[in-house]
Amino acid sequence: MATYLVRRFFLAIITLLAITFIVYGLARNMPGSPLTVQLGEVDPSRKLSAEDQERLKEIYGIDEKTPWYVGYATWLGNLARGDLGRSFSRKQPVTTLIGERIGPTFLVSGISLLLTWLIAVPLGLYATARSGTTDERGTSLLLYVLYSFPTFVAALFLQIIFAVWLRGTRWELPLFGMTDLPADANWPTRVADVARHAILPIVCQTYVSLAWYSRFIKANMEEVMRQDYIRTARAKGAGRWRVLLHHAFRNTLIPLVTLLGLSLPALIGGSVIIEQIFTWPGMGRLFFESIRERDYPTIMGLTLMFSVLTLLGQLLADLLYCFVDPRVSVE
Amino acid sequence: MQTRCDRIDGLCPWWTVAVVAAAMLLSGCRESPNDDLGVGPQVDVKPELATSDAVLKQPVTPAVEPEREPFDPPALADLDRATTWIDRPVQDGLELLRAAQAKENLLCSADEALTLKNDSADTNAKILSALGRLPADREADLEARIDRHVMGDLGSTNPIMISTSAEFDILGLTGFGLFSFGRDLEPFAAAETVVSWQTSADGLLDKVVMRDDLVWSDGSLITAHDIAFSYTVIMDPRVPVPAVRSGTDQLRGVHAYDDHTIVFFHQEPLATNVWNINFPVLPKHVYEKTWEQDPTLKDSPEHVALEQSPIVGGPYEIVERTRGQQIVLRRRENWSTVNGKKVREEPFFKEVRFRIIEDPNTSLLALKAGDIHEMILTPEQWTTQTTDTDFYQRNTKANAPEWVSFHLGWNIESPFFADRRVRRAMSYAFDYDEMLDKLCYGLYQPCAGNFPDDSWMAPKKKLQPYKQDLDTAEALLDEAGWIDRDNDGIRDKEIDGRLVPFEFSILCSQQPLRIAICVLMKDCLDRIGVRMNVKPVESTVLQDLTQKRKFQAYFGGWGSGTDPDTSENIWKTGAMRNFVNYSNPEVDRLYEEGRRELDRAKRAGKYARIQEILYEDQPYTWLFWRNSFYGFSKRLRGYVFSPRGPFHYSPGFGSLWMPSE
Repeated sequence: MATYLVRRFFLAIITLLAITFIVYGLARNMPGSPLTVQLGEVDPSRKLSAEDQERLKEIYGIDEKTPWYVGYATWLGNLARGDLGRSFSRKQPVTTLIGERIGPTFLVSGISLLLTWLIAVPLGLYATARSGTTDERGTSLLLYVLYSFPTFVAALFLQIIFAVWLRGTRWELPLFGMTDLPADANWPTRVADVARHAILPIVCQTYVSLAWYSRFIKANMEEVMRQDYIRTARAKGAGRWRVLLHHAFRNTLIPLVTLLGLSLPALIGGSVIIEQIFTWPGMGRLFFESIRERDYPTIMGLTLMFSVLTLLGQLLADLLYCFVDPRVSVE
Repeated sequence: MQTRCDRIDGLCPWWTVAVVAAAMLLSGCRESPNDDLGVGPQVDVKPELATSDAVLKQPVTPAVEPEREPFDPPALADLDRATTWIDRPVQDGLELLRAAQAKENLLCSADEALTLKNDSADTNAKILSALGRLPADREADLEARIDRHVMGDLGSTNPIMISTSAEFDILGLTGFGLFSFGRDLEPFAAAETVVSWQTSADGLLDKVVMRDDLVWSDGSLITAHDIAFSYTVIMDPRVPVPAVRSGTDQLRGVHAYDDHTIVFFHQEPLATNVWNINFPVLPKHVYEKTWEQDPTLKDSPEHVALEQSPIVGGPYEIVERTRGQQIVLRRRENWSTVNGKKVREEPFFKEVRFRIIEDPNTSLLALKAGDIHEMILTPEQWTTQTTDTDFYQRNTKANAPEWVSFHLGWNIESPFFADRRVRRAMSYAFDYDEMLDKLCYGLYQPCAGNFPDDSWMAPKKKLQPYKQDLDTAEALLDEAGWIDRDNDGIRDKEIDGRLVPFEFSILCSQQPLRIAICVLMKDCLDRIGVRMNVKPVESTVLQDLTQKRKFQAYFGGWGSGTDPDTSENIWKTGAMRNFVNYSNPEVDRLYEEGRRELDRAKRAGKYARIQEILYEDQPYTWLFWRNSFYGFSKRLRGYVFSPRGPFHYSPGFGSLWMPSE
């Protein structure tokens, strides 16, 4: 096990170096720089002179004289000292930026993922058990309708219903933001307020995943249900649900564990659209905006974080295989 | 910088080899997992700059003196003896507005205005007339809070680091300044902070005597030394000041002679000098101990603490800042009352809460629900989403012309647009009526050039905006040698021995209206044998390509500055914003003369002539002037529009109020 982990660790380091090198190279070679965006400001009375541009480029280490791979080496050197740099556009250390956003993102994504699994697994099993019946087809149709309903439209409808029409009633929900309370509010009130603000983003992030996850489970289950040992179990007189849960479902766990492993980065990846609509201070918008702003330190900080989580998720999935299937071994 | 480069050079070969090898071995690995990238709506957030920690880690190098002449200010007595001073206006923006409104006829009562639906120019005028009034005595609720809308968060609360609209909005209320300008964009010294302002007869000096009843939010006195210190910091090349340096860099020096007297020394006697002496001010007693150690003004613990709770000199102070959510400002009692004595009028709102909402649909819902009291409406929102009782239940809306114009720019260095006749043909080819009536909902006015018709610098004889005339367009192209020689339906011309078809690309951002206008132009050009390909690109890419002049044509827009000279860097040969490579010695000369001409009428003549030349040369096909569209809560009063919208002038936001319940 220890040898396996050490091998995976070194492979992960090489993979991370490759990912960050490629992403840094791509980011630095995209058209434009942080100064390009600055120069796009509409107020013409506050324009940077050419000399000022050069001065700032030199200060930031993005001048033409410094090749991008030297910039990458600097970034890597700073990273080795635990320093992810400072955002060009937000004027904060990247670690602080990520620290501020990770909680809100995890709150929505984590609960959403949990809800998705809690609803999708029973739905998938139910669909397998009732395969081909009218109620199964009805449920599938409904899930497909939800799946194809754009999040931004659903969000708008939910906002109109819960934040505008139901305003003043007990069903009222906040329109946007994470909290309306002042900074000195006591924590129980604050928790309740944040929870109310999180409901609509969570609903929007959850409903689209339901169809995908439940169909994934159903497809795997149907594959297993065709196996001989299921027929044997039935022949032995095992009940329908016992066959489904005890014999079939356990054997679909490997693909589910893979899926779970791949979900790890999504937990803090956030969603641009939902965060934008609900003014939720999440990671998705930060990544999207940092690319538009050519904010290299933030792009790299987030890329590193997502890459680490992807690798960790894969490692976790690989390790979990051993637990869900005794035939698999790290050796 | 030298230290860092040496260190990196030492590391370079090893890192490069290792990383390139890793990249080659593992180039098939998965990309980062954000599926939402690229599908989110285009966000129009104005970013700003900061430093990187790469800078932070560098040893502090000694300040490099800017390349300016050594400056040794003379004694004030000598200066006064040798100078003839001319008094300049010291005014209170609110009083100016009050005086102007006293002469205006009220078109209807406020109650009546609140029942109107803004669907015509008449009702718009009535709404502005009745609801734009300043309050009578005791009419305003001085305990009121206003919830304002901003599209993006603050990058910094340090006034010299600002560059975005949100920062100008918020720091406009917290910052200290000596100068301002009114609704007509005429500059003056602010009576709230200045006793007198004088300019030397030779135009090389400006002397300001400040009031002695000004205090920072920590209770320290605001003095002339703060101004001189701020100038020093702004001009230090180590300080990564993004925007406010322009203008300040034209000064020879700034010197505080005592606590209240400050003199600005100019390099040349220019009409634009007044704009160069208006810069943000830092509290010297706070930053003098810290800025040398941390010239980034952001990284040291002291500067981090100041970023969260800045010491301010304006009428409001920041009392709460939740990043990405809201910024709450509270009226400073020691702005209006110093040592127990009321020294100036207090602002109408006790609290100003800026709510950050990036999504325009959510902002509109927030306005309808009463969560915010004002917002900028998009033309689509104005036309289709704010016409029902749902909107008018709590709100009303108003619009006014704004000095922001849009155009199609022709790169004169491309083989297609070097000839003026071709550029004029482009302008004659376009269907302006279709654009204005259908694509722009009839909301915008046609544009004929650089300066608005009602501005002091526009030609006396109004220039007629171009109209579609395909016959003239074709004749001009024929005359310029663009004829369909190979009968393939596209005009062509022999250039350097090669037959070049008239086919080019136009760059535009991904906003639907801009794409639609370019597609309309493409359709128009198809009819005269010119093929144009529309290429929508990401806004940063568009900016990059235009700044590098790597385009044939582009869709763009400019906001006019407070002075016509701000357009010099669009039209002067080789200037920074001269993306289309326009060059006309007469225009260059007129800009130079305009800057040096101190007589307003003569100066206006120079800019009017520039406008006429540009009209003839058509380096742009000017499209339209954009209006300001605003939704306001029915509880709000006092909104008055300038050519820069309802907030960005004096009094601007200061004239807004809410009536007592």
